[in-house]
Amino acid sequence: MAPPLAGVRVLDFTHIVAGPFCTRILADLGAEVLHVETRSRTEGLGVHPDRRDVRVDRNKESITLNLKHEAGQATAARLATVADVIVENFSSDVMRRLKLDYESLEPFNPGLIYVSMSGFGHTGPKRDWTSMNMNLQGYSGLMLVTRAEGDPPTSVSNSWNDFIGGLHAAFAILQVLVERKGDGRGRYLDLAQAECSVATLGPLVLSSAVNREDPPRIGNRSTSIAPQGCYPCAGDDEWCAISVQNDEQWSALTQAMGSSALATDPRFTSGVGRLRFQDEIDEQLRAWTRNISMEEVQARLTAVGVPAERVRQADAVVNSDDAGHVFSPLLTPGASKPDLAAGLPFSLGISETLTPQPPTPMGHHTRKALAEWIGLTDAEIDELDAAGALV
Amino acid sequence: MARILDLAPHPAIYAGRLLAEAGHDVIRVEHPAGDTIRRLAPYLGGKPDIEYGAYHQFFNAGKRSFALDTSTSEGLNVFRRLAATADAIIGDLPSPLDPEAFHAEQPRLVLGLLRNDESPEICQYARSGMLALTGQPGRTPMLLGGHVIFAATGLWVGVAVASALLVQDLTGAGQIVTIDLQQCLEVLNEQAIQAYARDGRRTDRRGQRGAITPVSGAFQSADGWWMLSVPSGAERWSRFLEWVQDPVLAADPSLAEEEHRNAAKDMILDRIERWSLTLKKSEAVDTAQRQGITSTPVSTPVDLVDDRQLVHRGFLRDENVPGLGSVQVPAGAIASLLGRPIAPAPALGQHTAELLAELGYDEADRTALFERATI
Repeated sequence: MAPPLAGVRVLDFTHIVAGPFCTRILADLGAEVLHVETRSRTEGLGVHPDRRDVRVDRNKESITLNLKHEAGQATAARLATVADVIVENFSSDVMRRLKLDYESLEPFNPGLIYVSMSGFGHTGPKRDWTSMNMNLQGYSGLMLVTRAEGDPPTSVSNSWNDFIGGLHAAFAILQVLVERKGDGRGRYLDLAQAECSVATLGPLVLSSAVNREDPPRIGNRSTSIAPQGCYPCAGDDEWCAISVQNDEQWSALTQAMGSSALATDPRFTSGVGRLRFQDEIDEQLRAWTRNISMEEVQARLTAVGVPAERVRQADAVVNSDDAGHVFSPLLTPGASKPDLAAGLPFSLGISETLTPQPPTPMGHHTRKALAEWIGLTDAEIDELDAAGALV
Repeated sequence: MARILDLAPHPAIYAGRLLAEAGHDVIRVEHPAGDTIRRLAPYLGGKPDIEYGAYHQFFNAGKRSFALDTSTSEGLNVFRRLAATADAIIGDLPSPLDPEAFHAEQPRLVLGLLRNDESPEICQYARSGMLALTGQPGRTPMLLGGHVIFAATGLWVGVAVASALLVQDLTGAGQIVTIDLQQCLEVLNEQAIQAYARDGRRTDRRGQRGAITPVSGAFQSADGWWMLSVPSGAERWSRFLEWVQDPVLAADPSLAEEEHRNAAKDMILDRIERWSLTLKKSEAVDTAQRQGITSTPVSTPVDLVDDRQLVHRGFLRDENVPGLGSVQVPAGAIASLLGRPIAPAPALGQHTAELLAELGYDEADRTALFERATI
């Protein structure tokens, strides 16, 4: 069966990470995503005109429009009249100044679903604040809940919060597309990425509001079972995650460690006891793991039913049989070797979804989109080109 | 509005909440002893209580609760009758029900199944490659706090189910959607995977320093942590220099180039650290933002209580939570976006009676089911 978003036109004004991640999910679900790009300005947008990105540019069409040029702006507005969805993640006011905001476009396309994905939203005291992933990691509370007591704020070295924002936006669009069928009316969605980030920490925000204090910071530990943590192994920066869920696993662990002292210590035979004395257990566990490679720790423990997973770097995700299947090699034109592109981590039973296709060059679909979306003739397109509107 | 039965484990439970925020009728089907998520600390009010686990209160808000023991054939019969009224089910079907057979009987139904080896959260995070990227440089890798990786996997489940609901709405056809939790996390690690594939580069833990934008990180001020990201561009850099007034940074004109800033980033961040100690956090953030430099406070959850922006936007709102009185609750990203507040989390089995009545069970039936511990 056709993909879920077959026939849905998305006019994509996004850039950097969060917005393109959202529109790429829509593209993988079959939407016709037309990415509006420009050669006239690339600084700060993370774009290299000749280097296409398997994260941002795959499964989408690309049109180059100079939005600072009057005719470029007008063309964008015309494309908007036949779009089902518009997604943008500029700071406040940018789209309004370009006359490409919802108020300007809605009268010509009442069914338009217009999604703004700004940092804090377009209303409120922080509406003019700019935002990036690291700031959201900090602002949302993630960096101060991710750590053991006494540590400084701790981040994850990727664009985590951009993905969180992009996923929420994709969900909202899928929902509103269904609702739109009822009365044919679209709507304006003023999504705040900060709210998406804070929502993922909703339980702790809620408990702090009631209890008027932060929850204890427990790092890698659990509140209900022990031992759990990340244990240093023999190699440089090599670790193994271990999490003992019950008494049977504890017994198996002590046997694997060859420690009858641990196995018979009455303080540790119950889960409650292990929680109370986990500092001592962790010290002994570290002393054991320190002399063994992380692969070996994992192998020995999983063989006896104890959950253990070596802390993988990218190579161990890509080169192992049991991981990395969501990635496929994709050769970008001009690149010397394939990139690895991530597909969707789910499959639909009967509806098709798209696997990542090699990214197309910037502006590759300019003529096609102008002809198919708004019926421009070759001559009309040539005129726009000559005027400099299509860079 | 769809009726959705939510049997999801923790890694997928956020999906049901998102669908509730979107306005669907989400019914949490839980064992009469209560969902395991009800037992996850912290607790609202500080004491363990089956109704006040913070994760239950947040993730099950907006849902109805149907307490049902599906391990008996009698419970299974009740489940079947409930499922016959549903548009979607998230989570594994109670054994021994078979998804293919179920789908054949109810072709309109969307089934959101999880491929989940059920290994502990820290092991799943390790396997994805992201645990290696989280923590202080050179020190112990750290699990992301607040179980947020399960919020992320739940988001993917929500997107997958929402796309199938769209197809159902368009065509009347249901389908079995399979979400692979391990792959959900791997996708979020794509940047490190791609850096490795492209040039063998390893991504390191950076602690409070940024990984993607060179001059970015969290810094101690006189009164707490704040975060700064200086965007690329010579103009922003020179404005930043004017503000910082640091002689070492000012003395090196080559830093106007992004490349040189990248190479010297740790030195630059060291200088910012020293300067930051003299600043008051909220003034520093406001000054930075006015200059077009991305900056925010670094929060703990308590710091977000009464946050002016979140309150203005309706994301934080006061709500009456049974047993607790008026509480400032996070409304949820989708509820706040669509303007749809949701009800607080249900008490265990709060809606069992009304749902059974809807399914055609009379009082005598319900009493019998109760006495036999089926509900």
